[in-house]
Amino acid sequence: MVVLKENNLLNSLSQMGVDLGAKKQAFELLKGLEFPTRKTEDWRYTSVKKILKKKYVQCKEAEEVGLSNEIVPSLDAYNIVLVNGVYSKALSDVNFPDAVVVDTFPNAMEEHDSLIQSTFNAIAKNKEEVFTALNTSYFHEGVFIHIPKKVKLEKPIHVIYVNTKSNVVSNVRLLIVADSFSEVGVVQSFASVNAIECLTNSVTEVFVKENAKVVLDKVQCEEPNNNLICTVQVNQKDNSAFKINTATVSGDFVRNGVNIDVDGENCTSEMNGLYMQKGIQHVDNHTKVSHLKPNCTSFELYKGVLRDKSTGVFNGKVVVEVDAQKIEAYQQNKNIILSREATMNAKPELEIFADDVKCSHGTTTGQFDEEAIFYLQTRGISKELAKNLLVEAFADEVLDKVDSEELRIWIKEKLG
Amino acid sequence: MLKVKNLHASVGDKEILKGLNIEVNTGEVHAIMGPNGSGKSTLAAVLAGRDEYEVTAGEVDYLGKELLELNPEERSWEGIFLAFQYPVEIPGVSNINFLKTAINERRKYFEQDPIAAKDFLKMVKEKSALVELSDKLKNRSVNVGFSGGEKKRNEIFQMAMLEPKLSILDETDSGLDIDALRIVAHGVNTLKSKDNATIVITHYQRLLDYIVPDFVHVLYDGRIVKTGGKELALELEEKGYDWLTKQEA
Repeated sequence: MVVLKENNLLNSLSQMGVDLGAKKQAFELLKGLEFPTRKTEDWRYTSVKKILKKKYVQCKEAEEVGLSNEIVPSLDAYNIVLVNGVYSKALSDVNFPDAVVVDTFPNAMEEHDSLIQSTFNAIAKNKEEVFTALNTSYFHEGVFIHIPKKVKLEKPIHVIYVNTKSNVVSNVRLLIVADSFSEVGVVQSFASVNAIECLTNSVTEVFVKENAKVVLDKVQCEEPNNNLICTVQVNQKDNSAFKINTATVSGDFVRNGVNIDVDGENCTSEMNGLYMQKGIQHVDNHTKVSHLKPNCTSFELYKGVLRDKSTGVFNGKVVVEVDAQKIEAYQQNKNIILSREATMNAKPELEIFADDVKCSHGTTTGQFDEEAIFYLQTRGISKELAKNLLVEAFADEVLDKVDSEELRIWIKEKLG
Repeated sequence: MLKVKNLHASVGDKEILKGLNIEVNTGEVHAIMGPNGSGKSTLAAVLAGRDEYEVTAGEVDYLGKELLELNPEERSWEGIFLAFQYPVEIPGVSNINFLKTAINERRKYFEQDPIAAKDFLKMVKEKSALVELSDKLKNRSVNVGFSGGEKKRNEIFQMAMLEPKLSILDETDSGLDIDALRIVAHGVNTLKSKDNATIVITHYQRLLDYIVPDFVHVLYDGRIVKTGGKELALELEEKGYDWLTKQEA
């Protein structure tokens, strides 16, 4: 089968790093996969042509980089830093309490080989998602996080992906296994320093075991001109809780995929997203929550503010399988468009095969509430300031879902 | 203080105000009454600066300034306050924070430093007591989850905080029960001084039992057709508007 004629992305890549069977399989699989075009339903509003055409360089050594609060949020957290896709031991924390493991796959495999072999790539959708297959074939060493049974990690783990060279392609892989009754917060920050035209293709697999709780905050703060594809694949077992917050601060091309398989009873799943884009930014959020078992609840709230010539896509799918009775699933997508030239494509989807469920979804895309602006003006608040207040209020509803105050403040400041 | 001369205003192709004249001096309370559709709310909106209304003729002098040249926020800074007939709900914008912003915007206009937190809180405490607005409501999003009466009390609370020179109350009595009416009227009366003025727009005489006007004007078909003292309101209550509007026709 022909991949794309002009695919400089594929030509830029070579396999390296950790040696795993799954990598080779994905490499073989990739040969038969096609990159999406505008005719591919899931990519209808997002063209990858530009990304595939570019020539990239792949890095093997971690470079030195100074990380200030300007670039990524300085959090009270365990820091794990990957520079141009390569794990930097020098910049990363290496000591963790309570037998928690945070390390590269090769290092972690010395002691946890069977756990990694049984979880890695087990839920990644290589066949369906070509960028996931690409990641599985070409990622360097990966990062493995293991939270043992009953361990509650007080501080979050902050995984920082930073590109320091232009035209870098980095395939980064994260595997999180939260054993039963454990709790962990993981922050993923995507940033760049003096680098343009980069592509970061990130795949994260998360296993939330029985009664475990995982919160994943994704902060996308790339410099403009950079491209980001982030796929998060989650599997939840009985009585578990999972929450993901995605804040897209900048980056010219951002595609987020979140897929949650709720494979247990009495689970809660929460997905929140905030995108505030300007210029020619394109942000695409695709989410899918599959309820496979009964008695679970899922909440979803994505909000966006679009300025200038920016474009946005929201596609949220909720699937309730036939045995998944007593499901409550709520989904909302709200957008404010501040320019005539900005575009939003929103598509909520429900596929319900069970009969005893409570589901709702809705999407709104509109302009400012002129009544509210006039009201604020009559109280002495200028039109510009009134608009800012309304945008801030609009965004706060999502930002309030971020538990960490320092992270919330950082995102708010970045969004201006 | 306010001199409105031959004011004409339209929305779309429809002319609503058709040569309105009114003069308001400091220390005075004016009531504007009239049947539905006579242009009462349009007058309020035009004075506050709403841009859906196009002023096609006439002038408005406010404290020596050409009022129609100012945008709504400038009018507010210069001391004009409009209490809305239907106060707008603004989710996510806190009642207190927005008032603080409003006060500081005006202070900035007059090249003053922002209000000290302590002074602001003292003011909030004092002014909210005036209209019996609870702490819970003060900290909530603007008008969100407020009952009809609470919204109107919140309008008067804002008025008290902003200390306007000219207040325009647009149908503030609509949707109020008698207790809320009394509270609102008490607020307005307490704020009244020899240095400010109030225009009360109302449909019913009821409110004027509590806020006693110096002048009553009847607005009909975009013009003031009769002006009198407070007794005119009673006469209207008794006879309705027909005897005036027929005369006019």
